[in-house]
Amino acid sequence: MSLAEPATLPVATSAPPRLNILKRFTTRFRTSLPAYLLLLPSLIFLALFTYGAMGRVVIDALYQRATPKAPLRFVGLDNITAVLADPAFTGAVVNNLIYALGTAVPSIGLALLFALALARTNAVTSALRAALFLPVLIPMVAASALFLFIFLPNVGLLDYYIGRLLPVLPNWLGDPDIALYAIMIITIWKNAGYYMLFFLAGLQSVPEDVMEAAHLDGAGPFSRLRYIILPELKPTFLFVIVIATLNAVTQVDHVFVMTKGGPSNATNLVLFYIYQQAVEHYDIGMASAATLLTLAALMSLTALSFRTMAKREGGS
Amino acid sequence: MLFSRRLMLGLAMAGSMASALAVPAMAEGPTEIDLFFPVPVDGKLARDMGTLIKEFNDGHPDIKATAVYTGSYDDTLIKTRASIKAGKPPSAVIMSANFLLDMQIENELTNLDGLIAADGSTKEKFLGQFFPALHGNAVIDRSVYGVPFHNSTPLLYINADKAKEAGLDPSKPPQTWAELTDWAKKLTKRDGDKVTQWGIAIPCAYDYCGWMMETLTMTNGGRYYNEEFGGEVYYDTPSMLGALTWWNDLVSKHKVHPPGATPGPAVSTSFISGNAAMMMLSTGSLTYVRENAKFNYKVAFIPRNVRNAVPIGGASLIIPAGVEADKQKAAWTLIKWMTSPEKSAWWSRATGYFAPNMAAYKTPDMVEFLNKNPDAKTAVEQLDVAKPWFATYKTVPVRKNLEDEVMLVLNGKKQPKEALVAAQKAADETLKPYNAETSLKLP
Repeated sequence: MSLAEPATLPVATSAPPRLNILKRFTTRFRTSLPAYLLLLPSLIFLALFTYGAMGRVVIDALYQRATPKAPLRFVGLDNITAVLADPAFTGAVVNNLIYALGTAVPSIGLALLFALALARTNAVTSALRAALFLPVLIPMVAASALFLFIFLPNVGLLDYYIGRLLPVLPNWLGDPDIALYAIMIITIWKNAGYYMLFFLAGLQSVPEDVMEAAHLDGAGPFSRLRYIILPELKPTFLFVIVIATLNAVTQVDHVFVMTKGGPSNATNLVLFYIYQQAVEHYDIGMASAATLLTLAALMSLTALSFRTMAKREGGS
Repeated sequence: MLFSRRLMLGLAMAGSMASALAVPAMAEGPTEIDLFFPVPVDGKLARDMGTLIKEFNDGHPDIKATAVYTGSYDDTLIKTRASIKAGKPPSAVIMSANFLLDMQIENELTNLDGLIAADGSTKEKFLGQFFPALHGNAVIDRSVYGVPFHNSTPLLYINADKAKEAGLDPSKPPQTWAELTDWAKKLTKRDGDKVTQWGIAIPCAYDYCGWMMETLTMTNGGRYYNEEFGGEVYYDTPSMLGALTWWNDLVSKHKVHPPGATPGPAVSTSFISGNAAMMMLSTGSLTYVRENAKFNYKVAFIPRNVRNAVPIGGASLIIPAGVEADKQKAAWTLIKWMTSPEKSAWWSRATGYFAPNMAAYKTPDMVEFLNKNPDAKTAVEQLDVAKPWFATYKTVPVRKNLEDEVMLVLNGKKQPKEALVAAQKAADETLKPYNAETSLKLP
C-alpha cells in the first residue's frame, strides 16, 4: 500500500476524475504491480491455507443436516445457538478459563522468578537456564507420554515418592476433581522456561544507570523491583500474557494423549470439544460454529492486548 | 477495490495451480492400491504389516499394494472419511469392527455382496469361513460390508503366584462374580487403610470403558444395544444396573478395585508390576503380558453372573465407497489373501489377536504355536459364547454418553441408578436424528 500511494497522488489531482477512471486504475495498477508480484507467493499460500480454510469454516457453520440421510440445508445461526446451548461446550469453556488462569498466572510468575534469579550471566546461571529451558524442547506429545507414566496410579513415579506421605493414593488422571490440575501442572512445567526467555530479554532493557541511582538513593531490592523493574517489564508482561492465553486455547496435545477430555469431560477444553464435534460426532456444522466462536474470542482478545500495547508504545 | 483485486489474483492463481495439479496420471502397469492400517497395540505391528504386503506384491505382479499407517482406530476413521470427502478414498481399510454400521449409515462403504457373487460364491459360504460371533459386525441389513481381519475378546488375567500365596488354586480360576469377588478380597493386601495390592483392576477410559461395560452387562444376561437396529441402546436396564453396581461395589464396598477411571495401559502396567493381582483386559494384550510378566500367570473366561458371554473387539477389512472398479477388484484380491487361513494364522501369532478364519487353527504352524502357548487357546474357546460389539448410529458419542456416567460412579460422585438414567437420556438424545429417519418416520 505504501508503495502504491505516492505514485497515484499526482494522477488523481491533475486529471478530471470521471473520464480518467480507467486510466487512473491502470496507472495505479501498473505502478503497484511490482509490489503485488512480490507479495504474490505469500498471498497464494495465505489464500490457499489460511483465508480459504477460514472462509470454508464460515460457510460450514451455516449448514446442517436434520437427519443422517437428509441433504445439507442452510440454517443460519442455528449451529451457533446449538453450540452455546450444549452443556459440554459451556463446560469446556469453564474448564478452559480455569485452565488459562491456572496455567498463565503460575507459569508467568515462575518465569519472572527464574529470570530475576538468573539475570546475571555466569557458568552456573547458564547451566540453570538451560535446565529450565529444557522442557520447551520436548514436544508436547512426548512430554505427555512421559507424564502418563509419572501419573500412573499406584506404580507411577509420583505415587512412588509422594504416595507414601498421603493417606490415600490419588488417581491423578482418573479422578475428575484432580485431572484438570494434573494437566495444568504439565503446561506450567513446559511453558515457564519459555516465558523466562522473554523476561530475561526484557530485563536487559532495564536501564543500568537508573538502577544504580536507585541503589545510591538507598532503595532496597523490593523497591527496585516494584518501582523500576516491573514497570520496565510491562510490555514483556503484555506480550507473554497474550502468548500464554493463546497457548491455553491452542495447545491440547496433552489432553489428547492423556485423558481424551475425560474422566466425565473434566479435562475437556474448547479445542478438544471442536475435535470431538468434527470427528466423533461427525458434525461439521457444530464444529465450525464452535471454531468461529473461539476464533472470535481469541481475535478480540489479541486485538485488545495489542491495542493496549500500541497505545503504550505511542504514549512513551 | 484493493481487496477484491487481491482476492481475484489469489483465486486466479489458486485455480491455475489446481488445474496444474490435476494432470491425469496415466494408469499403466500394475493396479496401484492403498491399504490404510491402524496400529492399535504397539509399534511392531507396522513392521509386520510391511512384511505381509511385500509378500502379497511379490505374489501378485498385476497389483501394487501400498500399506499406509494411519494411527489409532479413531485416527483411521478420520483419515478414511477425509479421503472419501476429498474424492480419493483408499482401496481398502482395516477398520475398527464397530465403526462399520455408522459408516454404512453415512453411505461410506462398498457393499461386498457383488464381489462375493462375482467369485461364484455365496454370502453364506463366504461368511462360513469365519467364527459365527464375528458375523454380527460384518453384516448390515443382510449384506456383507466387512471381512474380519483380527479380533479379540476380553479375558480375566490372574497372577498365579499371588493366587497360590493367598491359598487359591490358579488352575481353578473364578467362574462366577461371587467367586471373583471372593478371590479379589483374598488377593487384596492392606497396610492400615492403605491398599498395597489390589485384588482386581478393570480398565475404564474412553473406548475401553464401554467395552468393559458391555462385557459385564452381557455376563449379567444383558445386551447393551439392539444388534438388529442402530437406533437403540439399553443403558437403563436391570442387567446393566447390576453390572455397574457390582463394579462400583468392588471399588467402594469391598475396596478391592482401585478407585477412579484407569486406562488400559495403566491397568496392564499395574498387573505386570504386581500391584494388581487380577485384571480384565483384551486378548490383544496377551503377547505383551507373555513377554513382560516375571511371574506365572493364567488367563480365564470372564466370570458370569447370569451367563457366559463376551463382546468381540478388533477390526475388519472394508472397501470405502467410491473406489473405481479395477481398484475394487484388486482390493478384493488383497482382502481375500489377507484373510486366508495361512496369512490369518501368521498375523495372529505376530500380534496376539485371534485369527477370525476358523481354518487358520488347522494350519500346522498354528497347531504347533498353540501347543507351545496354551494360553492363546482361551480366547478362541471363549469365542463360542462371544457376541457382536456394540455398533449404533454415532457409535462413539453414544458410547461416551455411558462412559462419562460410569466414570462418575467409579469416582463415587453418582449412584449407579441415577448415572444410568442420565446415560440413557443422553444417548436417546444423540440417537434422535437417526430414529426420526427410521423407527419414528411413520406413513
